[in-house]
Amino acid sequence: MIDTLITGFMHGNAYAIVALGMSLIFGVSNVANFAHASVFGIGMMSGWWLGSVLDLPLIPTLLLVMVITGVIGLLLNTLVVSPLTGRPAVAALLATIGVGMILDNISQMMFDTPTRTFPALLPSHNIEMLGVRFGTSDIVMLILTVIIMAGIWFFLKHGKMGQAIRATSQDTEAARQMGIPVKRIQNLSFVIASSLAGIAGVFVGMFNSNVSPNTGSSVGMTAFIAATIGGLGSMPGAVAGGFTLGIIESVGVYIFGDGAHDLITYGALLIILIIRPNGLFGGKQVMHEPMAGSFSGGAKAYRIPKWLAPILIIAAAVSPFLASDYFSSVGIQIMIYAIAAMGLTLVSGSAGQVALGQAGPIALGAYTSAILVGRFNVPFLIGVVCGGLVAAVLSGIITFPIWKLSGHYIAIGTIGVGAVTVALIRIAEPITKGSLGITGIPFPKIFGFTLFTPQFQYIMVLAFLLIELAIIMRIRSSHLGKVIESIGNDPVAAESIGIRTSAYKALAYAIASFFAGIAGALMAHQYTYIDPSMFPFAMSSLVLTIAVLGGLNSPIGTIIGAIVLVGSPELLRFMSSGRIIVYGVLLILIILFRPQGLFAKKE
Amino acid sequence: MKVKKTIAGAFAVLAVLATTACAQNSTFGGSSSSSSSSKVAIAVMYPETGQYAEYGKMFKQGLDLGVEQVNGKGGVKGKSIELKYYDTQSDPKQTAAIAPKIASDSSVVAVVGDYSSGASMAASPTFQQAGLVHYGFNNSAADFTSTGDHVWTPQYSQDDFQAQVADLVAEKAKKISAVYIENDWGKAAYAAFKKEALAKGIDIAYESSFLADSTDLSPILIPARDAHPDAIVHVGYGPDGALVINTLRDKLGYTGPFYGGQITNEYITTSGKNGEGTILMAPFTTDTTNPNAQKFVKDFRAKYKIDPGEFNQTSYAAIIDLAYGMNKTSPTRAGVQKALQTVTDFPCYVGNKTTFSFDQKTRRMSSTSFLKLQLKDGKFQVMN
Repeated sequence: MIDTLITGFMHGNAYAIVALGMSLIFGVSNVANFAHASVFGIGMMSGWWLGSVLDLPLIPTLLLVMVITGVIGLLLNTLVVSPLTGRPAVAALLATIGVGMILDNISQMMFDTPTRTFPALLPSHNIEMLGVRFGTSDIVMLILTVIIMAGIWFFLKHGKMGQAIRATSQDTEAARQMGIPVKRIQNLSFVIASSLAGIAGVFVGMFNSNVSPNTGSSVGMTAFIAATIGGLGSMPGAVAGGFTLGIIESVGVYIFGDGAHDLITYGALLIILIIRPNGLFGGKQVMHEPMAGSFSGGAKAYRIPKWLAPILIIAAAVSPFLASDYFSSVGIQIMIYAIAAMGLTLVSGSAGQVALGQAGPIALGAYTSAILVGRFNVPFLIGVVCGGLVAAVLSGIITFPIWKLSGHYIAIGTIGVGAVTVALIRIAEPITKGSLGITGIPFPKIFGFTLFTPQFQYIMVLAFLLIELAIIMRIRSSHLGKVIESIGNDPVAAESIGIRTSAYKALAYAIASFFAGIAGALMAHQYTYIDPSMFPFAMSSLVLTIAVLGGLNSPIGTIIGAIVLVGSPELLRFMSSGRIIVYGVLLILIILFRPQGLFAKKE
Repeated sequence: MKVKKTIAGAFAVLAVLATTACAQNSTFGGSSSSSSSSKVAIAVMYPETGQYAEYGKMFKQGLDLGVEQVNGKGGVKGKSIELKYYDTQSDPKQTAAIAPKIASDSSVVAVVGDYSSGASMAASPTFQQAGLVHYGFNNSAADFTSTGDHVWTPQYSQDDFQAQVADLVAEKAKKISAVYIENDWGKAAYAAFKKEALAKGIDIAYESSFLADSTDLSPILIPARDAHPDAIVHVGYGPDGALVINTLRDKLGYTGPFYGGQITNEYITTSGKNGEGTILMAPFTTDTTNPNAQKFVKDFRAKYKIDPGEFNQTSYAAIIDLAYGMNKTSPTRAGVQKALQTVTDFPCYVGNKTTFSFDQKTRRMSSTSFLKLQLKDGKFQVMN
């Protein structure tokens, strides 16, 4: 057991050193920087290149890696994050996801894809203790973690620049008025944090020994959770969170096996957040408005003229019969994602809560309908509706404790919920067949008629989309909709007039999950095969991005968001390997230049 | 209320439309008539970008070599083969979207790929309806071919293969620890292995699955080592196999035998010294004794200056076999299907046999033999 603890401690150290940079950026800019993981990944791969291809020793490798990642950090802030200052936090969050996508693809193109051995810049297995071996590199990494933590802490506490950083993080406006050059401070913190990510890349590379351009995102996500567990913005918290998570993971995996890895990691996140809503070391967050608040406050959805609506609907219904099958199949994907995202106009639009775990309810809907229709011969339409209901009930229950949290903790909490849901589906093998997946899911069948052509499926999915649109628009204009909106606009005022905000957030989320579940069910019957790996975090972030890009205040905008985000990878097919990079750039440009969403005007 | 009315109105229109549409009776994929041009196409769904891009690259190398050779020898019935590549990132949302585009392209006579079963199976129904053969050369999932009679795979059954692996392990070890990758393939493969291992009287002292993206496997390898097994068995791929053996040898000081890994350059180079002595069972290796495969290894080295691995071989063989079949029937969709049903001497690149046929019930390669290999001096060599 002691050897398990030692390896957990060492692995935790790897998380801690990555988490430090994330927490620093969060503390100064109030941005959950999802691109940090990719900067770390580039640090790791350039460390590999410098150390093995160019054969440089440790110190020059470290310095060059710091320069490379520092420059990336500076560009990240000046080009993407800084222009979004003053916008709702969710804009910067999604923009950094887009940057991460671009950086990961560039890294793959530059460094190639295979897994390879990281150069042993320091001896990494020369010390044996209690049944495990570790190396000088691990000891140096441990010392570095402590020095970096103490150094940043001291700098923030006593350095003049550091005090300016803290002032900026506490109240950006006040700091600006006191003459603090806020922009420069934020640039500086991005450079420091990104250089740290580079250093972390080199040491974690030595620790893992096998690296590839994909390693960054998987380690980075866990480090993000470590930073959250410790308390976002807290340096000692980042380190404590890293070690805590490393040890929980290794002990948990030792006992339950690595198949339960995600359940342990994300389960730990949820439990810790429920017990300590601001993390182990985090102070109470000062959050004046919800993360997505001003998306609805500052924008108004365009209205479709009365005469135009039926024309559009008829055009949408007729076009598959005039175009190729390819048009229909792409249209089906677009509409299914629009169905999944539209409910978020209530959760993220009206109630102002960022939900980054919609893959959870989508998976629940898919599995419910696949099992009911495939195994128990329940009629297709009933299966789909049951998929929605199960998703609403189960996701509602798992997510309920999250609504007590605030700000970014809700966003990250919902990531946890999405991952835990999929992990539970994986483990519930007798019911779901676990990783083996479910095959032979029947095609949609309505009143005894199998919808075997893409055109019929298109019409069926379009019908679901329009029904949802009608329901969501009706809810938004109802009393219930106004109550939910009041929570998003001013939670304190809403509470003070006796609205139980948690309950209404949960209700809004249950409605969104119902439709996400329907989308999942439609997906299952279209693919005819599902397994847990088909519901990753990327699906959740895509769903949220669709809702945000379309305009969080506009259910119709969701459809436009889906056309852009699900359709464009198909439209960009001609450019082959560069298409995902162009897609990421497109995403960032829209966030930068149409922050209110594609289908809304600024007020 | 306005909204409600508009939408209600639109539904009425929709209902009318849907009924008129029924008459049209279009099917997935449109016509399957053959074109009379001088080229026929094989569509490839594969991960050019994204997390599986490394496999996509290996596929492309094999496929390109295959087409080059077929066309160099005059193509199929006088027509040259052209590959139409579609990057899917092995993502089911993208394969499902692209499938009708492929199916309605009348120059396409067969589809090969994708990397993962999930992505492949999301597209199969469309090809099945279009009467287009879906040849999932990498899809060993047990139910892969269940979608319909046009879905085929040259992958041997994991049950046969893993049973032989278990027999190989049983020759030397009575007590083992086992780790396997947590996905559809790994789960099925390990179940087959375990069944035979238990039947042979092997004591499985410790077992655990692991997730493909886990970066530290010490917490499962410590108890695996502490169970004092005669051997440790790994069922998975190259990168995770290298992580397992590196952790066992470097971090945990395990010195016993290791069964697992994968025949890829990736495994051989990332496991390095630690990988020496790795024992595995495989259908293919660069020192194979199969004459077809020997020629393939030679040609592959000449073109790419590196040694081919299993993924290169399966993708190469897919093209060669489809072309061989079409030469016996016709270079059309129906011709490909007929060839897979009737031809009994497809060139075989795996194991020791030089030809194979398909089991018409499972639409998979009929049973084949495998090679026992050990990693020595940076190369997987046939054991005596």
